[in-house]
Amino acid sequence: MNRFYQWPGHGWLALAARWYLGWVFLFACFHKILHPASFALDIATYDILPLSLVNLMAIMLPWAELAAGLLLVLGWRARAAALVVAGMMVMFVVSLLLALNAGLDMSCGCFASQAAQDQDPINGMTVLRDLGWLALALYVVIFDRVPLGIDRLRKQRSEKDV
Amino acid sequence: MSMRAKKGSSFGGTCLVCLRDAALISTLASVLGLMVNLVHPEGISLVAQQEYQTMVPCPVFGGEVQKLTPHDPSLVKKTTFLIDAREASVFDDWSLRGAVNVTFDYLDPTPPEVILELAQKIASSRAQRVVVFGDGARPDTGEQLGRDIAGHGIKNVHYVEGGAPALRAQKEKL
Repeated sequence: MNRFYQWPGHGWLALAARWYLGWVFLFACFHKILHPASFALDIATYDILPLSLVNLMAIMLPWAELAAGLLLVLGWRARAAALVVAGMMVMFVVSLLLALNAGLDMSCGCFASQAAQDQDPINGMTVLRDLGWLALALYVVIFDRVPLGIDRLRKQRSEKDV
Repeated sequence: MSMRAKKGSSFGGTCLVCLRDAALISTLASVLGLMVNLVHPEGISLVAQQEYQTMVPCPVFGGEVQKLTPHDPSLVKKTTFLIDAREASVFDDWSLRGAVNVTFDYLDPTPPEVILELAQKIASSRAQRVVVFGDGARPDTGEQLGRDIAGHGIKNVHYVEGGAPALRAQKEKL
C-alpha cells in the first residue's frame, strides 16, 4: 500500500484529474457569476436551504468554484483546492439525492439555469457524474503529494534554498 | 516505531495544512464574491426579500397513457373517444369533430365527479380507446388529463404528441 502511495506516476495522473476538474469548475462558475439571480432561483428550486441563505449561497458558491478551478489548473495549493471541490461535490450529491427523492423534475443548475432544463435534467446519471468528480477530487487530495505546477516549483525552490 | 510516529504526525500535519488552506480558499473566495456582488450590475441582496417563485412540475400521478402521433389513423376511427383538454374558448374556436371538452387546469384538478361522468360517457359510447389532446406544451395538458382519466380505472388512454396545434397543422396539410 505504501509502495502504491509512493508511486511517482500519481503526479501525472493527478495532473490530468486536476486539469479536468479545474476546467469543469471554471466552466460551471461562469453563468452563475454573471447571473446570480438566476442561480439563486436554481438553489431555491431545490427547496433545501432556508430562504435567508439562498442568496448568500448564490453569491459565494460560484466564487469558491472559480477559486478552486483556478488553483487546480495552476497547481497552487492544489490539494486544498481539491478538498474544496470534494466538499462541494458531497454537498451537490446530497442535494441531488434529496431533489430526486422529492421527485422534482428540474435542471441540475450545474452549468446553466432552470431555463435549460432539457440540457441538464437531474437523474441518476447526474449523481453518478458528481460521484465520479468526487472520486477524482479525493484522488488528488490523497495521492498528489507534490502537485505538478506552482506547488512543485515552490518546493524545488525551497529545497534549493536549504 | 519512532519513524512510524514521525511519518504519522507528518501526514497529520499535511492534512491540517490542507484543511486550513481549503478553509482559507473558501473564505477568501466568498468574501471576493460578496465584494463583487456590491458592484455587479445584476447583483442581488444578501437575503432574499420574498419567496422565489419556483415552478417545478410535481411528480406525475395517475395511470399510464400511450403517445400517439397527430397523423395516427386511430384518431379518425369511430371507436375512438376524443377529449379536448384545452380551455372552452379555444375549443370553440377549433377542435376535432366529435371531441368532448374537459378543460384541464394545473391549479384546479379535475373533480372526481367530472371524471366519473366522463367514464360513464366513454362506457356508453362503446369506444375502444380514449384519445386526449391538449395544448401541446411542455408539460402537455392532454397528457396530464389522460393520466388523470387512466388513474380512475379507464383503460387504453392515449394522448396526442404536440396536442391540438399539431393536429390542426396536420389537418390543414391534408
